[in-house]
Amino acid sequence: MSDAPFKNPGWAGNTGEFDLTEEQVRGDDFVGDRPKHGGHASGAGTLPYMLAEKNPEAKLFEGEYQERFEKILTRYPTKRAALLPTLSLAQELRGYVSPESMDRVAELLDLSPAYVRGVSTFYTMYNKRPVGRYLVQVCTNISCNLCGADEVLEAFLSYTDTELGETSEDGNFTTIEAECLAACGFPTCVQINSRYFENVTPAEVPKIIEHLKTKGGD
Amino acid sequence: MADDLVTLTIDGHEVSVPKGTTLLEAAKTIGEQVPHYCYHPGLSSPAMCRLCLVEVEGAPKPMPSCVTTVMEGQVVRTMSEEAKGHREGVLEFYLLNHPLDCPICDMSGECDLQDYVHLEGRKQGRGVEPKRVFGRDDFGGDVLFYGDRCVMCTRCVRFMSEVEQDERLTVVERGNRSVIDTFFTEGLEGTNWHGNIVDICPVGALVSKDFLYKARAWDLDHTPSVCASCSQGCNVMLHTRDNLVHRVKPRENLEVNGWWMCDHGRMDYEWINDGNRLEAPLISEDGVSRRAVGWKDALGELLGRAEELEAASVRAVASARASNEDLGALAELVGALGGGETVFRSPRAQEELVLKGFPKLARRKDLAPNVKGAELLGMRRVGDDAGAGGLDSVAEHGSIVIVLGDVLADQGEDFGAGADLYVYLGTHDSPAAKHADIVLPVTSHAEQEGTFTNHEGRVQRFWPALQPPGMARPAWLILGALDAELTGEGAPETAAELFGKLSDAVPAFGGLTYPDLGTQGASAKVGAGAGS
Ligand code: SF4
Ligand code: SF4
Ligand code: FES
Repeated sequence: MSDAPFKNPGWAGNTGEFDLTEEQVRGDDFVGDRPKHGGHASGAGTLPYMLAEKNPEAKLFEGEYQERFEKILTRYPTKRAALLPTLSLAQELRGYVSPESMDRVAELLDLSPAYVRGVSTFYTMYNKRPVGRYLVQVCTNISCNLCGADEVLEAFLSYTDTELGETSEDGNFTTIEAECLAACGFPTCVQINSRYFENVTPAEVPKIIEHLKTKGGD
Repeated sequence: MADDLVTLTIDGHEVSVPKGTTLLEAAKTIGEQVPHYCYHPGLSSPAMCRLCLVEVEGAPKPMPSCVTTVMEGQVVRTMSEEAKGHREGVLEFYLLNHPLDCPICDMSGECDLQDYVHLEGRKQGRGVEPKRVFGRDDFGGDVLFYGDRCVMCTRCVRFMSEVEQDERLTVVERGNRSVIDTFFTEGLEGTNWHGNIVDICPVGALVSKDFLYKARAWDLDHTPSVCASCSQGCNVMLHTRDNLVHRVKPRENLEVNGWWMCDHGRMDYEWINDGNRLEAPLISEDGVSRRAVGWKDALGELLGRAEELEAASVRAVASARASNEDLGALAELVGALGGGETVFRSPRAQEELVLKGFPKLARRKDLAPNVKGAELLGMRRVGDDAGAGGLDSVAEHGSIVIVLGDVLADQGEDFGAGADLYVYLGTHDSPAAKHADIVLPVTSHAEQEGTFTNHEGRVQRFWPALQPPGMARPAWLILGALDAELTGEGAPETAAELFGKLSDAVPAFGGLTYPDLGTQGASAKVGAGAGS
């Protein structure tokens, strides 16, 4: 066993692109807001932003979101090809992909509503219903399962007093099961919004929840 | 030509088929029906059901015969143990979540899942897990969806997007949760061709509300016919039981309707079953009372009264719902009685409803099957777009008035009151037949043999599907017998004979005979003598 302190292999060091320290990324405290402009294209999807501004009534799209949508369009040869990132953007903004959002996206991309609906429902990472401020996804696939994922899941449900897929009364937590989160080396892995929590045990669950509750509004 | 043919061996038979033919179609030429769900000749081929797997010599794995095209010298086995084994495996998956509710399923008896499993499936299931359950959904229009029976072939989705081109259906979710769903709140309501998805659904997932629980598939007799609801003349099958039409299904004819028909025509059959029919010839005594008589007396009376008239002139009202034979016999009779004019009326819709993905087919404006036939026989169209009006000169005609097949719904009781002889031939009685001296019961097109001429001049046969009520007889038989008495020629004994004579006499029919027409019809020489 090496004495070197454990390092999350996901942390590549500060490349200078983002104004974040390792402590912010891996530590307990960080629950930053996702920047509206989306962040740098190369890392936007992987940054551990805990909170996104969610407004189910937000217009698709305007302001910075319109700019991001236009940028998305430039990355693909056809409008149809831009469907997935456009849906993600709509979800980031509104918190979930409502039937109205699907209609609107269909309109924006000249697709049929039926096609957009088929695609949106095919991918489980699009929320078809509103979710809490924190979407807790507990991996229950093989590695995590062997290491007690079922108990972790159970702990999240009982501490937030919800059923699977339900949102807690304070609007903070929705817990769902996830198939492999690709962190099999660190079971049980829990993804909360964009951020991974690794090696989670049932005993840690109350701590995480309380932490999120108090830090939530940061 | 020969260059374009590819020769290969299928199940030990050498066959030559055009380049580009799929193995599935090539196998049909030797009578082998390879099981399949997603493939339909009228739709694109996504090759997604994997049920059509066959063994191709030299290929590393089984090939989907619906998209694999023929190659020179290829050796294909569609019914080998290996091919069947692959399909047995696929079929087992299809039954994983299937509720096995054949006894209460409308499709039972004509279901591809039932048939294929019976032919090639496992004798015993191995599933122990609980099945996922979707239940039933109302898709709107005439369609009910039983999600658990669906085999996810997406034929229905592709029909709506490729043929009707109104994407109202889609696959939602994925994996074993995937299910067909409507998107708009109105579902299929308001679309004009959605009945076809019930036809092409290979299983009992999409069923017709109209037909629901009305009859079992194996109890129905199928009679080839022609839709009588517009001048397109879609080829159809009448499905009957207990002398009632229970449903109408399209019959394949690539020149006319492909595999499809419109919802208007599909649902327009209840009138055929209407029991309130004329069942015996009636002779009127001074327009006050009527008495039922036998055919001999009725025709004798008619001829007797006609003989008393000197220098008669005829005004006749025909119907564009009558067959070419009926109309031809009427024209002959009008001539034999002294000549005169025959008019007809037919309702007309505001617009054509074109099937976008098969534009040959449209619900035409003329809502009767034989407008063209009537025109080719020199009859003049009168009246308005509702099929009313235009009969003033007939209503007041003094000599002979003959009505065939028009129920004169817009006419009053004094219609034909001033005529010396008023003969009314119809399936149904009418208040405007009050003054008819003689009322003769005729059969509907579903009860007799005959032909219609569609909007582009295609002459198509239909066959009798039902027993006529009481003493009703085909109009051509009655009119032909009268004409024979008047002219001294022999009466026609079959519709074929009458049509033969007709097409010799009327240049527009160009000498066609029933054998020429076959089951798919043939084109009359349109133009000659045709109206607009
Ligand atoms: S409903 Fe019928 S036609 Fe549609 S996908 Fe299912 S099985 Fe195929
Ligand atoms: S298009 Fe005309 S002929 Fe065809 S089914 Fe409809 S009404 Fe009948
Ligand atoms: S018919 Fe060939 S894969 Fe479905």
